[in-house]
Amino acid sequence: MKRLKSLLFIMITAVSIPGSAFAQDFDFFEPTTTVGGYGELHYNTSSKDGDLWKKQLDFHRFVVFLGHSWSEQWSFRAEIELEHNFVKDGQGELELEQAFVNYHHASYLGLQAGVILVSAGLINEYHEPPRFFGVERPDYNKLIIPTTWFGNGAAVYGLVEGFEYKLTIMEGLKADGFSAKSGIRGGRQKGFKADAENLLFNGRVDFVGLPGLRVGGSIIHNNAKGDSITNEINLAEFHAQYQANNIYALLEAGNISYGSREIETSRGYYFDLGYNIGSLFNIDSKIVPFIRYSDINTAAKTKTGGDSEKKYHYTQWMVGINFLPIDQVVFKIDYGEKQVELGSATTEMFNLGVGYMF
Amino acid sequence: MKFVLLKIIIVIVLLLSAFSENIFPQEIKEEVREIITNTFNKDVQYDYEKYIIPDSLKTKVENTTQQKFFSESVYILKIFDEEILSGVALLDNVYGKDMPITFLVIFEDSGKIILADIVKYREPYGAAVQNKNWTAQFKKKESNSGFSVGDDIDGITGATISVKSVTKGIYKLSLLYKEIKESLWNSSYTDLINR
Repeated sequence: MKRLKSLLFIMITAVSIPGSAFAQDFDFFEPTTTVGGYGELHYNTSSKDGDLWKKQLDFHRFVVFLGHSWSEQWSFRAEIELEHNFVKDGQGELELEQAFVNYHHASYLGLQAGVILVSAGLINEYHEPPRFFGVERPDYNKLIIPTTWFGNGAAVYGLVEGFEYKLTIMEGLKADGFSAKSGIRGGRQKGFKADAENLLFNGRVDFVGLPGLRVGGSIIHNNAKGDSITNEINLAEFHAQYQANNIYALLEAGNISYGSREIETSRGYYFDLGYNIGSLFNIDSKIVPFIRYSDINTAAKTKTGGDSEKKYHYTQWMVGINFLPIDQVVFKIDYGEKQVELGSATTEMFNLGVGYMF
Repeated sequence: MKFVLLKIIIVIVLLLSAFSENIFPQEIKEEVREIITNTFNKDVQYDYEKYIIPDSLKTKVENTTQQKFFSESVYILKIFDEEILSGVALLDNVYGKDMPITFLVIFEDSGKIILADIVKYREPYGAAVQNKNWTAQFKKKESNSGFSVGDDIDGITGATISVKSVTKGIYKLSLLYKEIKESLWNSSYTDLINR
């Protein structure tokens, strides 16, 4: 009996050890903690109808990413942002823009829960300075898609046959924060003890099956809660981006409909076109001159009608250059003019900027 | 009594370590098999060996590509079709934003890439780098080809980090392969079956 037990012990050991040793082959993952970030310094000048130029220097954003991967499937991501150097007396902002646990089951299915980003447009989820033209983010991504739009919620995502999808449920907007001047931007709760009575639903699909091309759209629905009234908002947007053969082209267009109160519709679009002329000189750095045209109206349709639909309608053109000595660092210069429909006031803008990401 | 208890504990620990096996290495082996059989045919045979990259060669390749190797070694697979050496594959990893991306590059004897493919992608973002249309751009490239993203290789918006990392990784393996291919193509089918 004693011999049988010893034999059994040896056999089990003989089976187990090779199994454990084999598991070391092709086992490439190790738990890791990573730190990343981005930031940007701006020099902004503007002059309205020939008035004295206003000038400002501002380290607009300093962002730190933290990540930890416990296993191939379980990880954590966080993003902390400081705006305008410091926070004091209502100036500056310090925000937790992302903080979520991620479960990556497979390419076609993953889950996120925590502070997450709304999945809409091209900039809200990917807004590091080297990724977009112009010193400031496009006006469309401020007034139509209120970047950076984040909050408490959960999402499921994946990639299937060249299509990326993401479905999100999260805290809603506060209707009392909506305005004719800035659309739904003021309604973001940003995760601060967010009222969760009326949740927001967001769905997005992108086709990424061809190198260099991304085409897709998203919809957002929320019965935004106000103190005295609920305002149902529906946002639909389309985006297309092509980056290949040294060409940079993109188009974004969006429409927001409101169920109640004065504003009935906000809409806007813009397109960018640029070309890396650094390729003509056979250098590794990228020198990308670009043009942009925007058309924004945060009060495109109102109950009152008339001039109220022109007051916040403007068109804008911009030209500039993004210079990237390496892909993670960008120097920017741009000049543009913005013309408001009502009154035809024209504002000139000249900006310089430097940004980085890692 | 204590000795019996100790044996029981050791057995339980060993069994757990064997059967709570990390399934992912097996997943990678299966994916590699699928890539190779889809590229050649289902009857090909191959072996794999861990190749420790000599320090001087490792440094040279890293300096050229400005990307460090994932570890001190890569896996080499010699692929035999009807007992004839038909391709050599290198299996390696690069880091995306936080996680390793496992990829395979199959070379012909001339040094040209037959196929590059992602074996396992672990990141929540940038999964589009797995698209066959994207990896197809590396076919027929070799060590002196252009590997510049945006110029020679189209990028994928929303997968910038992964695209650049994998592109450099494939370029790195092309350079490494160029230096070691002569010794690899001296292998015979007999070497495979004797392993």
